[in-house]
Amino acid sequence: MSADTISLMKAPTKKPIARVVNTVERAVGRRDLVLARKGIRDSVVSLAGLLGCPVTNEDGREIGRLVDVVVKHGQDAYPPVSGLIVKVGLRRSFIDGARIAKLERHQIQLSSTTINLTDYKRRSDESLLDADVLDHQIVDVNGLRVVRSSDLYLAPLDKEIRVVGVDISFVTFLRRIFPGALGRRATPQHVLDWATVASLADTSGVVRTSGSKTALSQLRPADLADLIEDLAGREQSALIEMLDPELAADALEEMEDEELQGLLRGLSEGRAAELLSRMEPDESAEVLRDLSDEHREDILKAMDVKMAKQLRQLIAFDETLAGGIMTTHMVFAQENDTVAQALARLVEHRDRDISDGVVIVDSKGKLIDHIQIIELVAAKSTALLNTLIGPPYPTSVQIDSPLEEVIEEFSNNRGASIVVIDEKGKPVGRILADDLVDALKPEEQQGLSKGTGALS
Amino acid sequence: MTTTRKIRLAALLSVMGPGIIAGLSDDDPAGITTYSQLGAKFGYQMLWVLVLSTIALVIFQDLGARIGVVTRQGLIGLVRQKYGARSGTLSASALIIANFGTLTAEFAGIAVAGELFGISRFITVPAGALVVSFLVLRGSFANVEKVFFALSAIFISYIVAGFMAHPDWGQAVRGVFVPSMPFTHDAIYLATATLGTTLAPWGLAFIQSYAVDKRLTRDDLKLLRIDVWTGSLLTGIIGFFVVITCAATLNKQGITDITDASQAAQALEPLAGTLAKALFAIGLVGAALLAASILPLSTAYSVGDLTGQPAALDDGPKEAPLFYATFGVMTVLASGLILIPGLPLIKVLVFTQILNAILLLPLLLFMFGISKDERLMGEFASSSRMRIVYGAIIALVATCVLALLWFSLKG
Repeated sequence: MSADTISLMKAPTKKPIARVVNTVERAVGRRDLVLARKGIRDSVVSLAGLLGCPVTNEDGREIGRLVDVVVKHGQDAYPPVSGLIVKVGLRRSFIDGARIAKLERHQIQLSSTTINLTDYKRRSDESLLDADVLDHQIVDVNGLRVVRSSDLYLAPLDKEIRVVGVDISFVTFLRRIFPGALGRRATPQHVLDWATVASLADTSGVVRTSGSKTALSQLRPADLADLIEDLAGREQSALIEMLDPELAADALEEMEDEELQGLLRGLSEGRAAELLSRMEPDESAEVLRDLSDEHREDILKAMDVKMAKQLRQLIAFDETLAGGIMTTHMVFAQENDTVAQALARLVEHRDRDISDGVVIVDSKGKLIDHIQIIELVAAKSTALLNTLIGPPYPTSVQIDSPLEEVIEEFSNNRGASIVVIDEKGKPVGRILADDLVDALKPEEQQGLSKGTGALS
Repeated sequence: MTTTRKIRLAALLSVMGPGIIAGLSDDDPAGITTYSQLGAKFGYQMLWVLVLSTIALVIFQDLGARIGVVTRQGLIGLVRQKYGARSGTLSASALIIANFGTLTAEFAGIAVAGELFGISRFITVPAGALVVSFLVLRGSFANVEKVFFALSAIFISYIVAGFMAHPDWGQAVRGVFVPSMPFTHDAIYLATATLGTTLAPWGLAFIQSYAVDKRLTRDDLKLLRIDVWTGSLLTGIIGFFVVITCAATLNKQGITDITDASQAAQALEPLAGTLAKALFAIGLVGAALLAASILPLSTAYSVGDLTGQPAALDDGPKEAPLFYATFGVMTVLASGLILIPGLPLIKVLVFTQILNAILLLPLLLFMFGISKDERLMGEFASSSRMRIVYGAIIALVATCVLALLWFSLKG
């Protein structure tokens, strides 16, 4: 082992690396984590230490000093170095990553004697490790928290130099204050594998298949909502872009209204429309209602026409009326459909619906009955639905019934839901018990009592 | 529904928002002493320094609130992110030293108040430290805080005292609008201390962390700004009346150098007569305890901000060793320092505020840099006109510090 190589094994570690790896294993699986490989651990180079170091040509003559390292995001869990930004004289120039011959702790050697210097222009699928990632907030997916990166570790992997780990310890941060070799010495105290963190440097949403995305997808929506609320601005948008839209929509439903409005302001209309369409319509309507008229229109215009129409209807209703708190998600069936068809339809809508049965309507669309899923399961699959129709008939309220009446109906019938019908008797939505809870939740639970309470 | 909530929030903020807390804590023992000294020594002449300081306070507190709400990160964390490890550590160190100085001043205030009644500082200071530690370690001092808040509000009585002392209003107006000062070491020293105590570093970090910690959103910004403006102006108004009260009483009576607290308390005699001492002492203790319980918390928050985990304050000593260490070391050292026999308390009180002014410089420069960063601030980035205002204030602080340095070197 040369003096220049760094060993994570020998380094004094307060928190054993093994523990970190174990927690990581749950989300990603050990074999995917390169930091667990000894060869990689022994060859990592500290990015913070490398900044400001000489970049030499093939003959060892210094051409300039390293300013930043450019990485390319894409399909890889460990983003490869695509170039260097080097200060040559007074000018900042870009050097292609393919020219790197040797990356050492205190210098970078290039593979040719003549170097083509060009100005660097930011590309959407690239980020700068010093300007965008180092000392910035990143999401530690396993620890469910937002942390700051104290250092980044680079290592050769699959024929390229890649970012493999991120150090979040304070000791490492303090080490960087010192000049010279002392500041360059890697002191890995608490290293997270790059695959288990979500870097928020990339806002273009290209990081779609990395390990961190897999790990993020296993979080509960409520935990994700907390992470999203801990961030702001570009970082917040970046995290949203990184998520699968379905998961993002679930997390958004868990967020406080005010937070959500702020978040929507930071997203493009298209993305906002996509997410709102995937949320429960009543939740989307509630948020949209509080947005400025202009912003709301922009988002609705970017939506599927049918969805926009449905949401406009919901938005128009006051929150104190049945129509204002109902969800419009329902699975419809006709009297002459079979039990098997009804069940198939429920299965088809399972991912975005919490339906506990099907709503039966006649040929004119008027409400006949609501059949519970348990009745469907118990019946023969070839039976027609009209054989299941009968009391108890579902409780229904008019779309403009006041909240008090809804509560009254709920407490009289002790059901889990009631159906909302329009003036023609057509079912337009349902009010579930949780919608009622939301509507009745006292407002003062929000506001200044938020936060950790750390500061009086 | 939204409107009723907004109104309730407004009511809450206007009674005791972070801006008001910061404002009243600015009128802590160090603030009152500095303003008293300014009035006693120079009469009405240097009121304009206080006016400029208040304008600076309003503008930078407003900026701090905006940065906190928009970036949802504390000041120190942002400096680390934007300027790197060394700048992050520099700004955190500046803040810690300034806060330590101010905390020392709070304990000095408690000692001064005790000595007005002949109680030894060896009793009052440890007692004060114990009270503050108990409250902070118990973790919930919202109710007690209201008591401190009420006690420190006693200094509003300076407004009444100011009128009863029959000040020379003509001269006061002149002092506000006509900037003039003797070009002496003492004048520069007090002008710098006035800047340092009014535009205190801890207040800037506090307002920003408060917005982050309470997760205030852009919708809350308007109310937060009202709160911040009210609090900052209140600081200036109380300061104004302290100065004119002292000018109309002490300065007129020929007391031009306050060397002990009973002299400062005399300024309240037109209002309270023989009770002046008691009124002054109670105000000092209330303001000192209010600030002393917020200061270590705010500092620990900033330290956590530097390490990247500011939310860990709810945890016990094992989970958040840095927080408890910061708090413990600061309280023990600051109160211990005051117990050094023969320490001239009034001088210490003013000196800590000079320290504030010096340490303000890097912090203001970093805030200035963050304010114009469009990647961080988006549509809230400072306009070129505001940048000139920020620059002018920073130049003012720098001028004071440099002038003081020149006078000190000259001897």
